[in-house]
Amino acid sequence: MRLEDVWLRYHRRGPWVLREIDVRIEPGEVAVVLGRNGVGKSTLLQLAAGVLRPSRGRVVERPPVVGWVPERFPADQPFTAGAYLAAMGRVAGLPGPAADRAVRRWVDRLGLGRFHDVRLPQLSKGTAQKVGLAQALLRPPGLLVLDEPWEGLDAAARDLVPEVIGEVLAGGGAVLVSDHRGETVRLPGARQWSVAGGTVTEQSPTGEPAVAVVELAVPAAAVAAAVARLRADGHHVLRVRDHPVPPPATRPGPPVDPSAPERPDPAAPEVTR
Amino acid sequence: MIALVRLRLAGFLRTGRALAPALAGLLALGVLYGGGRAQPAEAYGVSAVVLFPVLAWQTKILLDVEPDVQRRLAQVVLGPARERAAGLLAAAVAALGTVAVALVLPWLVGGVAGPAAPGDRSVLAGVLLGFWAHLLALPGAVALGALASRAVTRTAGYGVAVLALGAVGVLVLGLSGSVVPWLVPPLLPAARALAGHLGPTTGLLLSGWAAAWSAVVLTGYAWARRSRA
Repeated sequence: MRLEDVWLRYHRRGPWVLREIDVRIEPGEVAVVLGRNGVGKSTLLQLAAGVLRPSRGRVVERPPVVGWVPERFPADQPFTAGAYLAAMGRVAGLPGPAADRAVRRWVDRLGLGRFHDVRLPQLSKGTAQKVGLAQALLRPPGLLVLDEPWEGLDAAARDLVPEVIGEVLAGGGAVLVSDHRGETVRLPGARQWSVAGGTVTEQSPTGEPAVAVVELAVPAAAVAAAVARLRADGHHVLRVRDHPVPPPATRPGPPVDPSAPERPDPAAPEVTR
Repeated sequence: MIALVRLRLAGFLRTGRALAPALAGLLALGVLYGGGRAQPAEAYGVSAVVLFPVLAWQTKILLDVEPDVQRRLAQVVLGPARERAAGLLAAAVAALGTVAVALVLPWLVGGVAGPAAPGDRSVLAGVLLGFWAHLLALPGAVALGALASRAVTRTAGYGVAVLALGAVGVLVLGLSGSVVPWLVPPLLPAARALAGHLGPTTGLLLSGWAAAWSAVVLTGYAWARRSRA
């Protein structure tokens, strides 16, 4: 899919939000859209998904099945989660039984089982976000557009997002994902589109493999030995710090430093132990 | 597309916001039929005029009840043309339901009577002509309601202004002697024709007029939606 010389403004005579955008993404590729709040990341994603129409230029070769996960799922609707997903499956062109099967599959996968009969307005933000994710995947999308998909999700669901992206890529789909929390470190090998000043620039790959940060909890007495072992295995130990209560699980969490920059540099991770 | 029509109708009926235009319609028809009995065709002609703003308001509510982001999700899934068509179709189905109530109600409250004098139309002819009069109002009302919907007007104030302008325009510009009657759908001319003799030529002319007016307004709706997500 290509965006060819795309310009966008929301009102006639309004300021240009995006200018001269020329980007392309091929099947099997994932691109991460990075940038500060309000620079037009969501606008770019909505142009790609077909929500917005370019004021100038055109979007070509958009796959026929597009899944869009909006930044905030519209939970103010008088349906239960299960009924809503089944209806969206039918809207997407799935016949009744196939829609029901797809809903069951994604409800189980995303841990929405006990919310199946809960009305959408009563769902928590994270659970509603999962419903938003599920509706985009009911039909395997040729283009999956995820707008801050990690927002509000619990640790288990956050881990699932890269897994789902991997499946879409393996199925020949393309994925566009925006992120301002540094979660896209979970997507090694992704192309990086940087939005700033109304334009999009692709950050050229550095040639080095992407780096991920793993936080470990180690008994204090064994720190020295653990650090030595990790270094011996070729890992780069960035920092050792105290942690009064060991975390109960070994799942990787998001970067915890609230002062983290909006665009994380994978070569300079925040914390490790 | 039919699945989206069903989803939107379900959303409209379940929120309870369908109640306001339904009650307004019933109130207006109650006032209309409270004054005594009339011949069906004549009564239905006036009923269609009265229902025009109600149907337009109902359409606006049906389209507005869906959150903006949900409307965009439907557009991503179905494409813009079918998303818009599904909204209009859902509104038309809801309007047909209201029209059915409007056709039955006068018989329940004794607002109409069968032929009393020689030369009066039969009950069947009266009901069929009444249905025709309501069908003249329906597409124009749906088009006006769509044009007043939040997806186009963005703010409640503009939405109400569009509705009010259309509703008042039908009454004011539809009066006999109006200089620009073609600026509004021909509901008052149809009501006048139904009170007297309605020839096939007049019927065809009024039908074409209503269809053309609706087509123009729907084109305006489609054009306005092009640049608004």
